[in-house]
Amino acid sequence: MKNKQCVAMLLAGGQGSRLGVLTGKLAKPAVPYGGKYRIIDFPLSNCIHSGIDTVGILTQYKPLELNDYIGSGKPWDLDRSNGGVHILAPYQGKEGGDWYKGTANAIYQNLGFIKRYNPECVLILSGDHIYKMDYSKMIEFHKQSGADCTISVMEVPLDEASRFGIMHVASDDRITKFEEKPKEPKSNLASMGVYVFSFNMLEKYLSEDENNQNSSNDFGKDIIPAMLKAGEKLVAYRFSDYWKDVGTVDSLWEANLDLLNPKIHLNLSDPKWKIYSRTSELPPQYIGKTAKVENSLITAGCDIAGNIDYSIIFENVTVEQGATVEYSVIMPGAVIKKGATVRYSIVAQNTVVGEGATVGEEPDYNDAHEWGITVVGEGVKVKNNAVIGAKQMLRKEEDGETV
Amino acid sequence: MIYSKTAGIIFSNSNDKALKEFTANRSMASLPFAGRYRLIDFAISNLVNAGIQNVGVITNRNYNSLLDHLGSGLFWDLDRKSGGLSIVPPFIGGNSKTDDELDCILRAIEYIKRRNCEYVVACESGFVANLDIKKIVEAHIEKKADVTLVYREAERPDKFAGTLKLKVDKDEKVASAENALLSKTGGKLTIGVHVFTRSAFNDILSTALNSENPAISEIISEKTGKYRVYGYEHKGFVGVIDSRKSYFETGMELLDKEVRDDLFNKERPIYTKTKDDMPTRYGLYSDVSNSIIADGCIIDGTVKNSVLFRGVRVKRGAVVENCILMQGVEVRENSTLKYVTSDKNAVIGGKAPITGTNRKAFIVKKNQVLTD
Repeated sequence: MKNKQCVAMLLAGGQGSRLGVLTGKLAKPAVPYGGKYRIIDFPLSNCIHSGIDTVGILTQYKPLELNDYIGSGKPWDLDRSNGGVHILAPYQGKEGGDWYKGTANAIYQNLGFIKRYNPECVLILSGDHIYKMDYSKMIEFHKQSGADCTISVMEVPLDEASRFGIMHVASDDRITKFEEKPKEPKSNLASMGVYVFSFNMLEKYLSEDENNQNSSNDFGKDIIPAMLKAGEKLVAYRFSDYWKDVGTVDSLWEANLDLLNPKIHLNLSDPKWKIYSRTSELPPQYIGKTAKVENSLITAGCDIAGNIDYSIIFENVTVEQGATVEYSVIMPGAVIKKGATVRYSIVAQNTVVGEGATVGEEPDYNDAHEWGITVVGEGVKVKNNAVIGAKQMLRKEEDGETV
Repeated sequence: MIYSKTAGIIFSNSNDKALKEFTANRSMASLPFAGRYRLIDFAISNLVNAGIQNVGVITNRNYNSLLDHLGSGLFWDLDRKSGGLSIVPPFIGGNSKTDDELDCILRAIEYIKRRNCEYVVACESGFVANLDIKKIVEAHIEKKADVTLVYREAERPDKFAGTLKLKVDKDEKVASAENALLSKTGGKLTIGVHVFTRSAFNDILSTALNSENPAISEIISEKTGKYRVYGYEHKGFVGVIDSRKSYFETGMELLDKEVRDDLFNKERPIYTKTKDDMPTRYGLYSDVSNSIIADGCIIDGTVKNSVLFRGVRVKRGAVVENCILMQGVEVRENSTLKYVTSDKNAVIGGKAPITGTNRKAFIVKKNQVLTD
């Protein structure tokens, strides 16, 4: 193998249980986003634009659709004879094998893969964030600062900081303390889950962690604290562009509608930093005579005869005459029948919303706790004239398909 | 497997002259069509959907844009170790011919010589259809035909030099095949897709090579008695692009759902080069109806009865009606366009409306800036 300066390892094995029915059949990184993308398109496109052509994808939970989607890596220009994209699933060796016990253990089990390229550093990424980032700048920063580990961070409002892994830094941005989801945060620098490790350090601490019976084998909970305790040099790399964790239904919905917000700078049409995706062969969309479309994203294969406002419509969606879709995300192949109304909802792949049905509700500010985004799971058929309220989550049952 | 025994040939420059406005810098085969395609996408997809894995594209002029589009053949699944897509460009020296058409025929013969195939499907450029080539080749074999000519029933002849008007018997055997241009009336007209048995292909093309009029259709017409020539009717949609008028009309026919459903048959998809455009963005002031819109557009104006290719921008207050706007066209604020066909990357706008008519669309050239 030819040596590589940097190898990226993408953690894609998480179940994504907070996304409920949306990850019933597929891993979180394969969840559709933004009209024609999957979440994993963002880190993969970032890699190739940053000059990183060797990427290991660590899969474990429901990998079938994700593996299929990645294929040879061609859509991201990652089909290489030297390097390229590799799916790394847990495997058996002479001494036996095991599932990935945690994020750190997943990388530990694949140290052999990394060693083949003898890299100076390893970039650790996760498959549940939407952002555009030039990793080469971060790697350069890592080298310049002589750090053992560089963690990218961004400032978040202090009252939201308790949702994140929080860094405390000295005046030179050297990390002094790390707190995972602190109840009373004293810093507003949140970890973005993007790490650059010098490879020798990564190998050392992963091996030590593996021998520690009490460890949960997690980067945030175990590896970073162990390195801090030992006095290694950990440095924060500040990032201030758009970044969003899409690990929950609400944040996934928000991140989609962010694409329609002119104040939010997530430009997906920048010719220098295109987000690549695997697309199916579909004719252009048709907007019909009775359609009314405003402030929305719509893509190939759609047939629109109804009203669309403030929504993200994926490929091959049909919206029939008299149907209304507002503040919603409609995933590939869904059919919204005549006169149906979909508001404040995520409608997953290949669902049918029956004639005259109502899905989702406008926010009720008097009863904010009861209100939430409605989710129609993959393959669900909502009956004609059914009423599906706020915050409901419909799952396709094994026996009956309709709701 | 019959389909491993069949090779496809596409003549990419045939009928270039019919549409000079848009073929000055490209071949007929690379003419943009239907929002995101080039004409050749239909021919290649038809062949590939029948399982054919050897496709030769004969080029002779202006084929830069075509090469750029085809690349390695990846998008049609034709990037293969064995066979796949072959571009067959002209070369200087050897036994090459100075006459373009003769040279194309010579190269077609040479290409097939190197293929281990029993049947050849030869396609001209200028027609748009979703054909079931598998069925057509099966019919060819079943009837033990030497040549099978795919035809459509049409009310009037097109302007292409190679179109034949057929007389067929009950069994579809061709009794006569005349140059359709000599006839003022319609009937059973070929659509530039012929299936040959290998020996008939060699024989007919070699005869063309040595004849005064090297047109393949001419030789077929003359030799109808000698060979077993059959017709095969394609009952679905056939778009004929033989003039700027028909380019506009055929483009507009796509607004008909039946035409779209036939041309973009889900069983036989049309493949093309993908460009990773983002979904089309409709703004707060967009008002769109009865239109075909490709990805990557940004629309904040009014669009009616139109076909917009990838990356077209319609600014606020602009009105686009009955237009075909190719990739990357920008329509400026508050301008009005009616019956306009614009080539790629033009910038159009101004106080005075730009209007053509139903019979004669206003033409904007590639990269033209038309503002005041």
